[in-house]
Amino acid sequence: MKWNSIQSKVLAALITCLVVGVSGILGLMQYSFARNSQALALESVTGSQKLFTILEAREISKMTAVSDLLIMNSQIRDAFAAKDRSRLLELTAPLYPQLKSEGITNWMFHTPEPDMAVFLRLHNPSKFGDHLNRFLDKKAVQSHTIVTGNELARAGFAERILRPVSDSQGKVTGYVEFGEELGQFIHTMKSQTGNDYGLLLSKKFVDRQFWADSSATWKRRDNWDDNAKFVVADKTTANDNIIRFTGDLATVPDQGMVLERFRDGDSILVRGIFPIHDAAGNTAGAMFVVRDISAVYVAMRQTENILVLVIVVSLLFGMTLVLLLLNQLVFKRLQHIIHVATRVVGGDFESEIKVSADDEVGQLEELFEQFRQVFVNILSQFSELQEKR
Amino acid sequence: MSQLYDLKVFIEERIKAKGLDAADVKGHIGLKSGRLLAFISPSTPDDPVAVAKLKQAIKDVLNVCA
Repeated sequence: MKWNSIQSKVLAALITCLVVGVSGILGLMQYSFARNSQALALESVTGSQKLFTILEAREISKMTAVSDLLIMNSQIRDAFAAKDRSRLLELTAPLYPQLKSEGITNWMFHTPEPDMAVFLRLHNPSKFGDHLNRFLDKKAVQSHTIVTGNELARAGFAERILRPVSDSQGKVTGYVEFGEELGQFIHTMKSQTGNDYGLLLSKKFVDRQFWADSSATWKRRDNWDDNAKFVVADKTTANDNIIRFTGDLATVPDQGMVLERFRDGDSILVRGIFPIHDAAGNTAGAMFVVRDISAVYVAMRQTENILVLVIVVSLLFGMTLVLLLLNQLVFKRLQHIIHVATRVVGGDFESEIKVSADDEVGQLEELFEQFRQVFVNILSQFSELQEKR
Repeated sequence: MSQLYDLKVFIEERIKAKGLDAADVKGHIGLKSGRLLAFISPSTPDDPVAVAKLKQAIKDVLNVCA
């Protein structure tokens, strides 16, 4: 086959179609995967945020119910009103392990305003008399009602409820507080969604020395220097590589944001983040969400391979069919016309071009046959003339 | 005899010697040279351009120099 023949050109056009088709499909699959992974990441962020909100509400309800039961106990109420720390500890200490097993990690009694000092810490009874001066304390003093919210304190970032305790005359004798570390939420969330989570705390709200001390106390690595603007308070994976965020937590929008898709070993993962506000409305922390989309990626690659195979086979089949048809309907018949024309010029006046079909090439065959007959007649007349001379 | 006629005889001898399809070979040479071999007779006058074209056609088709 000559490079400049119609067959070569048709073949080149079909191969171009094949390459463009396969490239197009590959591009389309990549685009589709990028969109799907973005959608999955967004769904993970919004889903996790909703789950976090549900968990917060559930735990607030639980701590509120526990506090309701607690202040109904007249012995506890009287001991607190009498500021009898030993008696209060004696009455409440047996309850603490049970509450702790239910997730309530912080339990405190505070003296009433204006002093508002810690009267008893069930989770650390030897430490008392200090002033916390937190946002929730002030809010509870102002409203004398149950106040709830997240508060980043020396004990950690916890969801807390604070409620006034009154004596029989209705006078506020102090406040009782329950709290749950937000870090434990992420393990519940992981068990429910399968995603990995990281609880990030903004360094603006964490004391460096406290972080070093608490790291030593809890025998964890001091990770203060791992990230510029935040510390990882807790995470559900031992892999440090998957938590990557270079921005400022304060800039994370309320609805959360998708960060990017990345590869970690054989896994394809997507990252997202949503903010966690404290009771005062500050973005004190954020929840980092990592979703493994390897299964989606593998499925996409399989679909891609099948599509490429189907397209290649279809186009190869199409190419073969087109070339066969062209050969049968055009090239073979043109070759016959050329062959007969050559023989006639060579002196074989008996060769004829038979019209093989009523199509465009058939018209050409008919024209050539008529031309051949005219040519043969002229040649005969010329020969006769020559003979007469 | 003319040179053109000599070339025609040369072609016919080659065809015979090699057992080629006479109409096919003559047709190809005729189309390439632009001259019908049937019209070449011993009395055909020589034309240098026609001779050169015929020699070139013989070389192209039969791959020999006449």
